Amino acid sequence: MEEPKVELDDLEVNQERLKLNTNQLKNLRVYGSLNAGMIAGILGMDGWIGIGIYVAIFLIVSACLAIKMNFRVKEYFKSSYDAYYSGIGTDMLLFLMIWVIFHNLVNIL
Amino acid sequence: MSDILIDDRIRDWVFLPIIIVMFMIQMFRGLLTKYMDNKKTSQKVTSKAQVSEMIDKNITQQSQRLARLYGLLPDHSFKMKRAHLCDNKSGILTKASEKPAKDPMQSMSMMNPAAMADMLKQNLSGIVFMALQYQWVSYFFSGFVIGKVPFPLTQKFRTMLQRGVDVQNLDVRYISSISIYFVLLFGGLQKIQQLMFGDDTDEFVDDTQMQMQMQMMGMPTMPSFGQQNDPGKLFIAERTRLEGVKHSFELNKSQEKAIKSLKRFLIQ
Repeated sequence: MEEPKVELDDLEVNQERLKLNTNQLKNLRVYGSLNAGMIAGILGMDGWIGIGIYVAIFLIVSACLAIKMNFRVKEYFKSSYDAYYSGIGTDMLLFLMIWVIFHNLVNIL
Repeated sequence: MSDILIDDRIRDWVFLPIIIVMFMIQMFRGLLTKYMDNKKTSQKVTSKAQVSEMIDKNITQQSQRLARLYGLLPDHSFKMKRAHLCDNKSGILTKASEKPAKDPMQSMSMMNPAAMADMLKQNLSGIVFMALQYQWVSYFFSGFVIGKVPFPLTQKFRTMLQRGVDVQNLDVRYISSISIYFVLLFGGLQKIQQLMFGDDTDEFVDDTQMQMQMQMMGMPTMPSFGQQNDPGKLFIAERTRLEGVKHSFELNKSQEKAIKSLKRFLIQ
């Protein structure tokens, strides 16, 4: 049986709520990259502009999250870096996939 | 470079089928792992070698827990526990570290059927599907151009993205069907599956992704097979770690922590 890894600093943090919050954040990010991919693909954006759209939508999602939390990050996540900026590289692959698919479907084929 | 017009039928019979089939196989894999997890019964410990392995694992777990969470224990408790583990003559870690190094052939764990069944299951729902899909795509859909990537790429990607298409001067942006397979594979059909299935498939999906990457980097060992060859060194390392721990009871700092959190609460 694997024990859950508990560190001393984590004793001040409520673990289940943090896990729920991070799961919700992950879902949000996936929706965000799906939308960004669809927008970039349908509008036929090319090259670096498309990646710029992805970053822009990512930051918009983070901004909406900040407004929803009333800017009090510490109550919901471990740090502001975690909540706003951390997952940008991992979801970029998802964005690329959706971008390629929609770009091909709409513009070329 | 003039634009290439691609026939409508390629979209209908190649592009969409590849996406739909890969997506379905991914969903099927998720359901399959769920089904197999439900059927997993608890493993019975059968052989003596396995018993001693379990004992070793428990000892290391106990000493690691002590090294991590020492702040929860007051002074005399911690010292007692540490002495129980690390004493010069009768401590558990000192006794365990005098065991001889295990024969690597014997400790391969290929002998106990439980680990082998686990390995088979992981292989089946990970690598076999990948290989099957690759074969299917490259057999049926090779030799023509399927689409275009929206961003500029260098010539180095040509061999990977245009396998089967032998036109030399074709723009690297035009890709063959195998590259759609790769894009879908790495891009994360898993994430979309996670959206649909909820959080249940979290741990397993991470395992296969990690395992796939490890195999691609050329390392054949799986993460579950720990350090097998020399448990003595492991115990000596644990013992030095425990003896180096600077113990301080967290309750002693409780007044400062209470002041800090009260301040934070009152200021808001």
